[in-house]
Amino acid sequence: MRKSGPWLTLATLLLLIWSILPIYWMVRMAFLTPAEITQFPPPIFPTRFNIASFFNVLGFDHTLADGTMVRASGQANQVLRGLVNSVIVAVIVTVITLVIVVPLAYVFARLEFRFKNLLLNAVLLAVALPPVSTLIPFYAMFVQLKLAGTLTGLVLVDLTLTVPFVAWMLIGYFRNLPPVERLARIDGYSRFGTLFFLIVPMAKSGVAVAAVIAFLFAWNEFTFALILVNGTTANTLPTAISGFLFQNPQPSNLAACIVLTILPPGLVAYFLQRHVAEMSLVDPVR
Amino acid sequence: MAKIDLRRVEKRYGDYVAVETLDLSIVDGEFLVMLGPSGCGKTTTLNMIAGLDYPSAGEIFFDGQDVTAVTPHARNVAMVFQSSLLYPHLTVRRNIESSLRHTDLPASEKARRITEAVRMLELEPMLDKLPSQMSGGQRQRAATAKAIVREPSVFLLDEPLSALDAALRLSLRSELVNLQKRLGTTAVFVTHDQVEAMTMGDRIAVMSRGRLEQIGTPDEIYNQPASLFVAAFLGSPPMNLIAGEIAEGCFRAGRLSVPVEAAPGPATLGVRPQHARLADVASAETLPATVYALEHLGRESVVILEDEAGMKLRVLVEPSFHARVGDKAALAPDPSFCMLFGADGLRLPVGLARAA
Repeated sequence: MRKSGPWLTLATLLLLIWSILPIYWMVRMAFLTPAEITQFPPPIFPTRFNIASFFNVLGFDHTLADGTMVRASGQANQVLRGLVNSVIVAVIVTVITLVIVVPLAYVFARLEFRFKNLLLNAVLLAVALPPVSTLIPFYAMFVQLKLAGTLTGLVLVDLTLTVPFVAWMLIGYFRNLPPVERLARIDGYSRFGTLFFLIVPMAKSGVAVAAVIAFLFAWNEFTFALILVNGTTANTLPTAISGFLFQNPQPSNLAACIVLTILPPGLVAYFLQRHVAEMSLVDPVR
Repeated sequence: MAKIDLRRVEKRYGDYVAVETLDLSIVDGEFLVMLGPSGCGKTTTLNMIAGLDYPSAGEIFFDGQDVTAVTPHARNVAMVFQSSLLYPHLTVRRNIESSLRHTDLPASEKARRITEAVRMLELEPMLDKLPSQMSGGQRQRAATAKAIVREPSVFLLDEPLSALDAALRLSLRSELVNLQKRLGTTAVFVTHDQVEAMTMGDRIAVMSRGRLEQIGTPDEIYNQPASLFVAAFLGSPPMNLIAGEIAEGCFRAGRLSVPVEAAPGPATLGVRPQHARLADVASAETLPATVYALEHLGRESVVILEDEAGMKLRVLVEPSFHARVGDKAALAPDPSFCMLFGADGLRLPVGLARAA
């Protein structure tokens, strides 16, 4: 074990403040009443937990303790639909990404074949491209294909980002697994059997992290969603929330929405932290 | 259990010849060691016997049956890989079971074999451990158990001991041979370690650059090496090889002169350290040199000499022998134990003149 000196503690504290403070500020705002938000200096701790905003953004009126009624937000419909769409897109993108990337990464990591480097570069090129550079072409193409404003279109675009990125990550992980292929052949496993019954279980941490990354990518994706689906029935949560910035600003509703948005990724990260920690080691299983 | 025949087997990768036309017969129940430096084609040969690699030409027979195109599993071979490879995410028990996963044996027979193998290799206390939780020796035993539950036609071992420390290697060597003899299964063991080869093999096949240099019992390989390569590769401390020329019934290299019966021409004289002695510097027909180092082995010592050309020569001496670095000495080979190798690297069949 490493010795923890005062500097390490200090650095850890600094990092914690750096990452936790903005989140705290936002969460706190979700529990404030409009009157409290306009106060100066702003209250650092909410005096009481006012959960009206959470009801409002989900489309319910809420009566405060003092009897005032806070009306449901006019954007509740947008938010609810965005939530549903985001879940659909993120889950589908995660599943398809894994189905494509696990065999792809395995082949690139463990087998030799012709034009391997060229093909690998073709896959990885997409990681190097800034997404914005393909925004206009995608839009033009999707309008013609009638995919603009659809979940299908958004899933397709998200896959162009998640597949290369997750492949890049998993190839490195698969490379470091022990060379069990010949042993597997002696034991009578087919190539697919080796991949699904041996390699994937051996690499379960890597595959789990790959799934998380694909999910977060799709869940957080904003740029393409803004151009391709905003203002349509296929709107996702991040773009729906951005509406709060422009129409009748309600800071506490905005904050409540963001809390709802970061909740699923937070939970995913929490339950998979063991695998994430394992992933950071260079030598995965041995 | 099987008799294995390789007939004119060849393996090429593009222009590169990994194994050149190889004929090899492995007797049923034999422990054959394939010995050679890295890149000599020994592992490629083993992979072809296993069916992991298919020969570019030639056939492989198990008990007279052509298995050249048969998959490894169907050949019923068992293999232990370098560093005793196991599936790292499975416990020892599941690792052993995975050997029988793709067989049609009844469950009771599977259980019987596993219990038997576990008992033989004393693995009971480790059955629920993962490979990463065990020592190198325990992993080796687990890999062996995984191999024997197949009741294979042949055991193939690809340098299974190379990653272990010296003491463990020593004990596992005899353990493996003992097990193989009790089971009576044919075994092919690949190594680059000549001590492993000498101590474990019923026969040794020495390979170099894709060619079979010599095959024979350890005694034959050691005492009658077919070529310069085999002579140089086996023996510890290694054989002294002195380049010179045969003329007028004598091998000559500088002042050294050994009477031989061979045709004149360039040749190399080989003499093992135990068949040479130190002589007085002044004595005729010896090779003058200076003491370079003295190595104590306990039971004996090795004097390492350096001649004028910078060549190192080794002589076994009594442990009580003393010499200082830089002392003058001369090497005198015992003519009755010298070997001669021709310019083509092959041992000259002609006998040495027995010193009167």
